[in-house]
Amino acid sequence: MSLEFASTRDLQGTFQRGLKRVAAFIEAEAASLFLVDEETGDLVCQACVGPVDITGLRLAPGQGVVGRVVEQNVATIVKDARSDPYFGAHVDAKTGFSTRSILCAPLSVRGQRLGAIELINKTGDGLFHPGDRQLLRALGASAGLAVVNARLSKAMVEQERMARELELAAEIQRAMLPPLMPDDFPISGINHPAHEVSGDFFDFLKLPDGRIAFAIGDVSGKGFNASVLMTKTSSLFRCLAKSERRPGRLLSMINAELCETAANGGMFVTMAAGVLDPATGSVLLANAGHEPPLLHRDDSFTAFPATVPPLGINVDLVPPSMPETWIALAGGCLYLFTDGLTEARCQGKMLGDEGVRRLLAENAGLAIRDRLAAVVDWLAPPGSSPRDDLTLLVVEDRRGKPLLATRFEVTPDCLYELRHKVGAVVRAIGCNKDLVTDVVSAVDEACQNIIRHGYRGTGEIVLEIRRNGPRQLEVQLIDFAPPVDPAKIKPRCLDDVRPGGLGTHFMRTVMDEVVFMPPPMGAGNFLKMTKAIR
Amino acid sequence: MNARFSTRRVAKTAVVALQGEIDLQNSPELRKELLGWLAERQNVVVDLSGVDYIDSSGIASLVEAYQTARHQGGHFSLAAVSPAALRVLKLARLDEVFIIHQTIEQALKGTGD
Repeated sequence: MSLEFASTRDLQGTFQRGLKRVAAFIEAEAASLFLVDEETGDLVCQACVGPVDITGLRLAPGQGVVGRVVEQNVATIVKDARSDPYFGAHVDAKTGFSTRSILCAPLSVRGQRLGAIELINKTGDGLFHPGDRQLLRALGASAGLAVVNARLSKAMVEQERMARELELAAEIQRAMLPPLMPDDFPISGINHPAHEVSGDFFDFLKLPDGRIAFAIGDVSGKGFNASVLMTKTSSLFRCLAKSERRPGRLLSMINAELCETAANGGMFVTMAAGVLDPATGSVLLANAGHEPPLLHRDDSFTAFPATVPPLGINVDLVPPSMPETWIALAGGCLYLFTDGLTEARCQGKMLGDEGVRRLLAENAGLAIRDRLAAVVDWLAPPGSSPRDDLTLLVVEDRRGKPLLATRFEVTPDCLYELRHKVGAVVRAIGCNKDLVTDVVSAVDEACQNIIRHGYRGTGEIVLEIRRNGPRQLEVQLIDFAPPVDPAKIKPRCLDDVRPGGLGTHFMRTVMDEVVFMPPPMGAGNFLKMTKAIR
Repeated sequence: MNARFSTRRVAKTAVVALQGEIDLQNSPELRKELLGWLAERQNVVVDLSGVDYIDSSGIASLVEAYQTARHQGGHFSLAAVSPAALRVLKLARLDEVFIIHQTIEQALKGTGD
């Protein structure tokens, strides 16, 4: 019987069968089993055998002989029930049963009082003796174990059900991450949830014009509610990014939607969204309360802090006109990550901004996907359990390292220095004097055009010079002036001798190709010039 | 200063010697210098022997001076053009437009001074 108690999950049936056998073995007229109601502390009859069914009978804590046995945790024989002050005669009065003697033993496991087994009236007018008590005490201990086991297993079944549901939710979340892209794709991300489901997300999608929209987000708080809000936010991003190209306006729209429809319960979402233009290696970025993304280039890092608060707090906080940042990757890469990285513990100390930079720099030599894996492995070695979700997204300039990349305020008096800088890098790759002069002159004339016709004054220029394979040099000039109509920038007719208008002719003459390209988003004009080199 | 202008007078001719790199930063000054002498009815010879670099705005100053001189019947010529400057003049096909002398002496002979 003890064995059945130890392995059972069907408590009620087991108790019923057990009681019957105990009553027969000890020769009692009736038997009942009471368990302590975990909520009220009442004793409730769970099973009984004998002439009267008292199943469901409820006794207040300490009431009756059963109550005393449970409280004192001691097996008792009551030879004459009627003379025992604890005896509850009202039960007999109600049922018509006549209780003479009682044997009662507690159900307890490691001091935890679970209930009691009560035997009534040894048949044939005999009395319960100490041997009966010992036997019943032993059975009480077994039955107590059975109760504990059954309760544990019920909790486990419930847990398993929850775990299955969480696993399903996690699967849906994983399916919402972008698919695996070819190795040369410029964006890659990794999400390492601390629990089954994540409050972080990243996503990217290719737009029809070749640009790539991307985003990273972190919902405040952890657990299931955070992951549900995360799922909503990432769905909004994926849907809206297909029609809204400006990341600032996109964040504003997501914010409005979150504020309008979600009862977020104080939860909010930090999010950074951007668009990569692979042709120019440029990124237009908008950041709402998120960890500053880091540009890593030439062994140094530049951070781009948030310009508005997180999403989901107030609709006015993220206006469509929120500031955006134009970033030239210039052969470098942009890292976006959640605070799971900065707040990760390393030898008891938080990793922090410096730690994250060090970690990224140490792994910079690896290919994009290996790099992500290496960083996450370092932060959360296999088998460890990170405290927070870890999410990391890398946006790379796949065009390779430029010979020269510079961003500057263009003025007539910066041209001298610029020419010498350009001359030096073109000379350094072995170009002859004439070719150096040609490239220098083309860059100089292009800058003049921007000063005179673009800004009509000064403004910012992003200049990049790179090799396109072994035989071609490419010069890119991006400005933020009002767009000029390329049709109006024609080389002048040389027979018409007049001052001015020569610059474009010079550029076209000394370079093989001079062409205005569609400017990256957030920029004004994009001029590309190429020249064959030997 | 990346460029320097110095002018010496020979009779009714101003010999303006340019040195260094003529670009958008200093071409307005060059223009003022050349047009100034022409306004005083002087002949102008531009000595380009010391020019390391000249851009379209520098060339534009020379063109404007050339046109002004022609208009008022004065003399405007270039002399001792450095290879760097000649390359740019050829690019603009202006080597066929300007009067170009090998040396300052030849230029001065051309002015009749």
